[in-house]
Amino acid sequence: MTAHPAVSQTIASFGEATKAKTPNQEAIERLMRNKASVMGFFVILLFILVAIFARVLSPHDPLEITSGQKYLPPMWIKETPGGKASNPDYPLGTDSLGRDVLSRVIFGARVSMVVGFVPTLVIVVIGTLVGMVAGYLGGRWDNLLMRLTDVIYAFPDLLFFIIVMVSLRDSWLGQFMNGMFLLFISLAVVNWVGVARLVRGQVLSLKQKEFIEAARAIGVRTPRIMTHHLLPNTLGVIIVLIAFRVPGLIITEAILGYLGLGLRPPANSDSMFVTSWGGLLLEGQSAINAQPWILLGPAICIALVVLAFTFLGDGLRDALDPRMRGTK
Amino acid sequence: MGSQPKFSRIEAVVTTYLIRRLLWLIPVILVVGAVTFILMHNTPGGPWDTDPERRQVDASTVQSLESFYGLDKPLWRQFFAYMIGDFNNKGEFVCGLPCGNFGPSYRQRGVPVQAILFSPPEGEDGEMRPWYYSRFGYSLRLGLIALVIAISIGIPLGAIAALKQNTIVDYVSLLVATAGVSLPGFVIAIFLIIIFASWLDWVDVVPRSWDEIRVWILPAVVLGFGTLAFTARLMRTSMLEVLRQDYIRTARAKGLAEWAVVIVHMVKNALIPVITILGPSLASLVTGSFIIETMFAFPGMGRAYVQAIGQRDYSMIMGTTIIFAVLVAIANLSVDFIYVLVDPRIRLDE
Amino acid sequence: MRKLFALLSLLVIASMLLAACGGTPAETTDEPGAVDAPTEAAAPADSGTEEAKPAVLRVNVGTYPDIIDPQKSSFVIEIATLKLIYQGLTSLNENLETVPGAAESWEYNEDATQLVFTLQPDLKYSDGSTLNAKRFEFAFLRNIDPTTGGEYASITDEILNAPEWRAADASADDYNRDEWTAKVGVKASHADGSDCADYEDAACDTLTLTFSKPAPYFHTIAGIWVSYPAKQENIEEGGDLWWNSSKYQIGNGPFVMKTVEPFVRQYFTPNANFAGPAVPSYDIEYLYITDSAVSFEAYRNDEFDVIASAAEDLDAISGDADLTAQHITWPGSCTIKIQFSLQPTWNGMPNPFTDKKVREAFAFAFDAEGWVTDVDGDLSSPTWTWIPPGYPGYDPESPLNFNPEAAKAALAEASEEFNSAEKINAMGLKITFGDTPRNRQRTEWLVANYQKHLGIELGLDPVDTTTFTALQKDPNTYPLLSRGGWCADYPDQQNWLSVYWRSDTTFASRPGYVNAEFDALVNEADATLDPVKRAELYQQAQQILLNDVPAAFGYNSLNHYMVKPWVTGYQLTPQDAVFPGDTLPWTITVDASMMP
Repeated sequence: MTAHPAVSQTIASFGEATKAKTPNQEAIERLMRNKASVMGFFVILLFILVAIFARVLSPHDPLEITSGQKYLPPMWIKETPGGKASNPDYPLGTDSLGRDVLSRVIFGARVSMVVGFVPTLVIVVIGTLVGMVAGYLGGRWDNLLMRLTDVIYAFPDLLFFIIVMVSLRDSWLGQFMNGMFLLFISLAVVNWVGVARLVRGQVLSLKQKEFIEAARAIGVRTPRIMTHHLLPNTLGVIIVLIAFRVPGLIITEAILGYLGLGLRPPANSDSMFVTSWGGLLLEGQSAINAQPWILLGPAICIALVVLAFTFLGDGLRDALDPRMRGTK
Repeated sequence: MGSQPKFSRIEAVVTTYLIRRLLWLIPVILVVGAVTFILMHNTPGGPWDTDPERRQVDASTVQSLESFYGLDKPLWRQFFAYMIGDFNNKGEFVCGLPCGNFGPSYRQRGVPVQAILFSPPEGEDGEMRPWYYSRFGYSLRLGLIALVIAISIGIPLGAIAALKQNTIVDYVSLLVATAGVSLPGFVIAIFLIIIFASWLDWVDVVPRSWDEIRVWILPAVVLGFGTLAFTARLMRTSMLEVLRQDYIRTARAKGLAEWAVVIVHMVKNALIPVITILGPSLASLVTGSFIIETMFAFPGMGRAYVQAIGQRDYSMIMGTTIIFAVLVAIANLSVDFIYVLVDPRIRLDE
Repeated sequence: MRKLFALLSLLVIASMLLAACGGTPAETTDEPGAVDAPTEAAAPADSGTEEAKPAVLRVNVGTYPDIIDPQKSSFVIEIATLKLIYQGLTSLNENLETVPGAAESWEYNEDATQLVFTLQPDLKYSDGSTLNAKRFEFAFLRNIDPTTGGEYASITDEILNAPEWRAADASADDYNRDEWTAKVGVKASHADGSDCADYEDAACDTLTLTFSKPAPYFHTIAGIWVSYPAKQENIEEGGDLWWNSSKYQIGNGPFVMKTVEPFVRQYFTPNANFAGPAVPSYDIEYLYITDSAVSFEAYRNDEFDVIASAAEDLDAISGDADLTAQHITWPGSCTIKIQFSLQPTWNGMPNPFTDKKVREAFAFAFDAEGWVTDVDGDLSSPTWTWIPPGYPGYDPESPLNFNPEAAKAALAEASEEFNSAEKINAMGLKITFGDTPRNRQRTEWLVANYQKHLGIELGLDPVDTTTFTALQKDPNTYPLLSRGGWCADYPDQQNWLSVYWRSDTTFASRPGYVNAEFDALVNEADATLDPVKRAELYQQAQQILLNDVPAAFGYNSLNHYMVKPWVTGYQLTPQDAVFPGDTLPWTITVDASMMP
């Protein structure tokens, strides 16, 4: 798992070869030293756990409609200008139909974490692969792949989601997993091109760099150059992209909701996916004059996810950077 | 820049490259058109199925409308009629897309799509106004302002954040970036409206006219916020990457002034990934945004395509998608040219 | 680490601040300007003695119209614009009775197959040009003309040969427009019956409509927007986008269109040549903000004088005495119902709603009061009948009401297959709706309602809004259970009963409602000239309809607006569409001196 000696010298001229630990162990150690990253990691873990154990954690059934209890304020507001008093049973208040906002935020973690993560994974894998191949091999490959991305790029992404959701959501594909599956596919199909172009841009400039030329000169094979030299050097960009894509997708789901194309709401309470943070943001926005606090829960949750990813991403990038190897 | 090749040689390379890229547009348009066409015709409902709360068009009217617009013809024929052209009932050839004819909008009862998007409305006394008063023109102007805001704030913010890691600037940039990605446009917009229009009273909530610069600021900020946030983060990461490169140390060792090191070597090299995302950002910024236009009553073209899908306004859907495709292609082409300008080691013909 | 915490808490505080501030500006914006309207100040607004602010009524209309063409428009907002610029042959008064408009009088022949209008003398367009009967002839012909492609073309189908011409193939070789215009039962003439010369012929004041069947209600239809006399030469000269220009939109209505800034604003000034009861004393500005939160913000900032209120804002309104005083509601023009498919089978299974007792159970179990408070925040009103209050034919007498006990009893009386909640639950019924955030809420409430009162579990079936419309067009795909309504085109029982429920109409045939007795009664009523007899027949027909329970008639729409105190004198009618009193806009006064 070590880099080719000739190359690693060029890359890390100050990287002294004190090989007591493997690079992987070293990377983990470096990561652990970065407290912000560790914090970010735990926040993400926390949200994943909340998503999994939503049923146990939420104080109420997120679908339970209580007549006459709509738009109750959260705990810290005693009484609204409209004369509604808060109820300690509903710490974050209630929504337009008298459902508990806290329970809905907890359940929202499920949809939002899944919508954020799953397509991102697909997008990054495909995008990185295509971007590296196109950028490094250049010529015909580049031309072909880039025209393909042009075609896909050419669909305004929102338009593409809308038209896919509108035309397919009533088919079996759209019904599958409350429409989540269709949402994944359409999000993934459109978004990988962004990653691909970004990675290609990086690779185009990297491949002119001395260390890559050196590696090529001494006969390192293409796949190895990609995984060992190009990938680590584009990782920083890819990580920023992930840190942005996850919340970006959560927001996209909200925007689709704004257009009436969100996930299918379930009717019975044993359903896995009840609501999303995006859906809650939407509700909060339309009720901003009377009940602005509905926005708080989901907005803070999404912001926390973004921050967690940013810190974890920064730490990861530093930890994996070959030039940092051996440094304190 | 090394040894300067002959000017005519560069010109020739650029021209052939340009022609080749532009020719590529044809298959791109065909594929985009075909996919859109298939998807939209697979969607239940048609242009005469209006909002369920309105009175519906009766069956015999639908029939006469369909034959009036040629929607009763086989689908393949409708597709070619749109993309190329077709003979009408009287045997005359009606040219399609190649002549810039994007078809009649069904929801606007026959008004050509190109007129809706590209013709400016008349001014106060019926005089003709310049093209940039058209829906496309409005979107283009707003998109460019948003882009300028995003770049002029995003790039310096990201660069300074990287140079002054873990200082207040770095945290501000993090805060901006986090807000920019965690809140959808419709939430940011209402916050800004409440703060700047209701409390501070700097602008009106409802703009009466878009001839004043002031009223453009809020929608442009909301539109550009996501791009700004992304640009700032990307710039910061990219700068940190560049900071560690050998040539920076070499440059410093050579005794170059610090500002020269920063501008000439760091920023220029760090710009590559930022430029890449600017291509598609530019395209999506200038084609308008449904949310911005809904929140600010902005007369752009973003609402046109979102509404067209809901209304099954086939020509409008095809038209907007194809126009967007062309814009994206042009934006990406310009990005490829800027690459070469920023980093001359990247060659056009590769 | 500390820095990180500091940063996080900063972010949390920032967002809380923003959110909290969003809730409080009620105090900061209600300026002392909102003193109660002194009534004596409202009157002299028209004199305009000092060069003060012009009296302008600034209205948030919402969506921008797709098209503003009298013979092509079909949407409320489009019509609300046309209504300012044009006036039809007849118009409505505050009791929704049909009164003279551009026509001074009208007369039917003895079997109501012919209707003769006599125009008011010396009618003028806003630009001073002559308006004669030929202009109205053109409007009717253009509405029928198949090359117009208007969506309301069928509303004048009573006119002789209109349906035939409408269906003709205009691209055929032997098509001759002149032949059709000669055949169709629309004719402008002088009072003595002689032909009119041209549009300048001021003596041309008679319009004769000939029908293929008795139509004693047609004078009301002759007042709706399809009869508005847009000028032929302007339509031809202006091309496809003629309607988007104040130069070509020359009309005879209470206002003149001054400026059009698509998607931003439209500005109207009073028309001195208006032949109606009075020339309005104020200007109108239409603005287009669709987001209700933004609209409310602008209203509080005194940038709008009139907005439609939204259910989400009611708490903010009720927390503020001034806003509460400015909030008005009155009956609207729609009845919304929980509708059933009455087709014999559904998904290959027997359809439970073919059983009248099941329909009764669903009707009795609908908690209309609960709906109105929980879902609509009192912006609608419960009903148990079809024609809404304020319209001719309103009859509160109904065999239905909200009664969970009766609902359960009715279900138990249903036929063997469907007589319990378990049996129906086993079928997995779904309620279909056009997916918007608002409709989601509504449908989620409905599901909870039927679970609570009937023990029936319904599934949610969201579809795209247009798909929802498309599903309703085909009897085979008509949703088993959905929410839908009807809003009046014009105030006449015929529009509510014959147009909607007669078994051969598209509206009744899609869900599959058939009742021969009902059909016979409305057919007789449609052809009856005596208004008392006619109303009686319609009333009987409506009772038959209610007894059949083809739908659970749920609630009526309310018009609900916020109106600034300086706007007074509005005469409310259910037909008002975008601001209070827009059916009779000349009665409104705007006191500019009170505007901040």
